[in-house]
Amino acid sequence: MTTQKRIHPLATFAGLAAISLTLASCASTKPTCDSPQTRNLDRAISAVQATLTNGCQAHFDRYYDDLLTIAEGDPKPENKREFSEFLVWASDEGLLSKRQAQENYNRYFNVKFMSLRGDYNNCSHTCPNKQKVLFDMERELTDKERGLLKVSLDNQGYYRADELFHEVELVLEATCTACAAGR
Amino acid sequence: MRQNDTKPRTAARHFPLLDTAVYWLLVVTVVATAFLVGRVALANTPTIRLFPTTVVEDLRHTGEVARDMETGLQEVIGRLDQQQQLYQESKCDGAENDSGCQRLARQIGATYLDMLTIMDERLPDMEHTVNNTRISLEKNLRSELGRKMSPWTLQETLVGKAKTTTSSKSSPTLRGRSGMRLSERFKQYHQLVATSGSQSDQSLAVLASDIYLDMHETSVLIERTRQEIARATLMEQLNQSFGIITPEMMEVVGGVKSILFGDEEARALVAGPPPGTIEQAYRSPLEQ
Repeated sequence: MTTQKRIHPLATFAGLAAISLTLASCASTKPTCDSPQTRNLDRAISAVQATLTNGCQAHFDRYYDDLLTIAEGDPKPENKREFSEFLVWASDEGLLSKRQAQENYNRYFNVKFMSLRGDYNNCSHTCPNKQKVLFDMERELTDKERGLLKVSLDNQGYYRADELFHEVELVLEATCTACAAGR
Repeated sequence: MRQNDTKPRTAARHFPLLDTAVYWLLVVTVVATAFLVGRVALANTPTIRLFPTTVVEDLRHTGEVARDMETGLQEVIGRLDQQQQLYQESKCDGAENDSGCQRLARQIGATYLDMLTIMDERLPDMEHTVNNTRISLEKNLRSELGRKMSPWTLQETLVGKAKTTTSSKSSPTLRGRSGMRLSERFKQYHQLVATSGSQSDQSLAVLASDIYLDMHETSVLIERTRQEIARATLMEQLNQSFGIITPEMMEVVGGVKSILFGDEEARALVAGPPPGTIEQAYRSPLEQ
């Protein structure tokens, strides 16, 4: 009985020490989710891929933005492919759904506007929300300026997107006026 | 007769196989040609129907009515310009009580009334044809682009199925053409629409929208102008008794001139951005 009483404080101490050590080790392995430090896009993508698979999935949008900023520092047409491959990888890894990957790619690197996605007819769906649709398109055009012009040097693509925006604005104005007149 | 009949029969008896071969060759050629022509025609035919023949005809008629109005007004406006010049050269500004100046002012007022009368006579016809075109286009736009298309399909129509990026040539940019004669504007519209068979769907959608919005504005303006003419005529009839030239009168004449005969100052063209130089061969599997 006496021996048991003597061991008890030691066991308590050992237990506490073990818990502190476990906590300390946990703290050291927690991902920091830092932004990539390199200015090279290839290396930055590799670093981001490693970080994303290491518990930083929640920071995907920030990393995508970081990569775009890095690519802006070295703009070239091949960057389109780099981003496409990165997004396909993210989709394959289950970090993004296929639809999200498409949304991320097309919003920045395609002439077409993702803001115009919709399955209902223009009279019933687009016209009542015309101002919002045009506002969303305008914001998307800013992203296209970044992706097409500043990252990929695709001047023609960006000018076509800009032209498409104005054409949609004109055609929607006419179509919605015609729809309203038919009510 | 008998001799004539025997010749072909003899030939047929001698070369029956050749005849059959030629016959089938002809049939195959005709069918193949018809098929090819059909394919080509199908490829060139726009799939959206925005410009039926009635619209083309309405546009042509509107152009003619506008030309008639211009011709009628040209002479009166020329006369007004001369009278105004004479008024200024006679130093009538500030000498309104002078009897000679009063007579000149009355003459100017009478010519101004002539102008208003011509406009009043021609505008109903103009209004009628503009409204016809507007209503036809309105119906087609509502049906083809409004009800049959979603925003995505509309975008795909505008981008074009071939995904060509050289659309600067094919897509007309027509809005804000105030520096052009009214009849010339309708003539251009008519030409564009009459040759629309060779244009792609994306150009047609933009063209139809552009013409429709223009007609819409023109329609509203004609209606307002007709109301204003009645008021201005009454005012001028009153002014005639005093021989006064009002600033409003000169303003109206200037406005009519710029609408009908074009406004040089409004033709400021802004250069477009330089075309891109880089070939874009890469297409992502994510692209839609």
